[in-house]
Amino acid sequence: MGGGQAVLFVVMGVAAAVSALYAVLTRQLLRSIMALGAFLTAVAVEFYVLSADFVSLVQIFVYVGGVVVLMLFALMLSASGERHPMAGADRAGLGAVLAYLVGGVLAVTALRADLPEPGAFPEQTVSYLGRALLAEQLFAFELMGVILLAALVTALVVVRKERQ
Amino acid sequence: MTPVLVLSAVLFATGMFGVLTRRNAITLLVSVEIMMNAGNLNLVAFSRLYQPELMTGQVFAIMGIGIAASEAAVGLALILTIYRRYGSTDVDRVRLLRE
Amino acid sequence: MLVERWISARIQLRVGPRHTGPYGTLQTVADIVKLLMKEDVRPVQADAMAFRLGPMLTAVPAVMSFAVIPFGAPLIMRDLNVGVLYFLAVPGVTAVGLLLAGWASYDNYSFLGGLRSSAQFISYEIPRTLVVVGVAMLAGSLRMSDVLEAQRSVPFVLLLPLGFVVYIVTTLAEINRTPFDIPEAESELVAGYHTEYSGFRWALFFLAEYGALFAASGFAAVLFLGGGNGPLLPPFVWFLIKTLAIVFLNMWVRWTLPRFRSDQLMRLAWKVFLPLSLVNLVLAGLVLQAVN
Repeated sequence: MGGGQAVLFVVMGVAAAVSALYAVLTRQLLRSIMALGAFLTAVAVEFYVLSADFVSLVQIFVYVGGVVVLMLFALMLSASGERHPMAGADRAGLGAVLAYLVGGVLAVTALRADLPEPGAFPEQTVSYLGRALLAEQLFAFELMGVILLAALVTALVVVRKERQ
Repeated sequence: MTPVLVLSAVLFATGMFGVLTRRNAITLLVSVEIMMNAGNLNLVAFSRLYQPELMTGQVFAIMGIGIAASEAAVGLALILTIYRRYGSTDVDRVRLLRE
Repeated sequence: MLVERWISARIQLRVGPRHTGPYGTLQTVADIVKLLMKEDVRPVQADAMAFRLGPMLTAVPAVMSFAVIPFGAPLIMRDLNVGVLYFLAVPGVTAVGLLLAGWASYDNYSFLGGLRSSAQFISYEIPRTLVVVGVAMLAGSLRMSDVLEAQRSVPFVLLLPLGFVVYIVTTLAEINRTPFDIPEAESELVAGYHTEYSGFRWALFFLAEYGALFAASGFAAVLFLGGGNGPLLPPFVWFLIKTLAIVFLNMWVRWTLPRFRSDQLMRLAWKVFLPLSLVNLVLAGLVLQAVN
């Protein structure tokens, strides 16, 4: 990572953390989904900084252009803009303690771990990825297709059943 | 490397916090997506650590994104059905799993 | 924009703008000044943040997508490894903007317009992406300069004529232009998702539409017509000629054809263009076999 990239990484990391927190804390669903959109974009930039450019664009394509739009659709078809309370205060406190305890353990482990120096991805990410997806990981790739198809059918069935 | 892991830990904790405390189905889904993204970030980071030219971690991340998309589709379909039935997307109000 | 008004006037046997400046050339400038000076009206019940974000999220991706278009051999801002994918992914964010704008306005016409336009946007994105996959197969790369290089002798429009047609039509639908402009069908929805917008924010929607039109046309010129490749003239000029030809085609279609109905439009996307794009994919495979 060069100097500029390191700065970009930190800025986007802070942006991701803040927008994630906002998405979780806000009481308005619309805001929450918009914050998720910002968070996903920030993570996409992080992927780019890690020189995984293909993953970064897939993230934008599938998440921001797909999942967020889907969520907005669901929001608009259901509860329109009502406010949604947090759990009771004691539970919120407990949840925060528990979640950040886990996060803390993860972070401390990461800080104390003795990791080897990371290598760099090849310049031609796409062709290497293509080889990985369609040769070494072909089974996983095909399985992915099956899962997507199953999800598609499930979603249709679930939504449709209620109409009868 | 370490900064990525720390960031990912923070994001994961935030998502988990959401899952534990929020009671709205859509917000739960948002929180789960945040956790999955934290995981993907880790996968890409570790892909650089071990044999970057194999791209195994990146392939995993792409799979993860695909899974997240299908999960969102099914989840939102369920949420819509629940909303039609209970007139709310609050998961605490959903107590029956059958007709 | 001015040119579009001239063309529309020509086709509809009207005169078109001609009083502002010589032959009306300053009409666009006058319009912009007028729009910027207008009051920025916001409905009382609108969600302020979403109302502001909506137009931004439609305009920003349109502008950003220019970053990977090669305007001629050296004239490309970023020749990304994944340039083609970038062009498909970034404008996808527009759908979020359309939905937000429609929803935030707190008004039924806008809401319906927003829902319709995003549904349409998503439906047409699929065949469009599949068609572009065919091009990427032939080029063997997602880098814009490689795509151009692969067309040095034969532009892809000759190899994939079907793909070219599907791309042009789906693009028309993606950027909400007639005959696919149901979201803003004046006769039923007032102005669709931007009914409640005025002045500067309305100008942003306008900018987004034209930006997207030019970007998509430039992209088509690169993918199918070989971009800046051509004899004699410098690449930039060739690129411009090809892009403007496609833009002109778009305008011609817009002012000639009537509008589809919403359900017809969706059926068209799923039952006609999706299969056609799959056929195109198979054809691309066959062409690839034949070449090898």
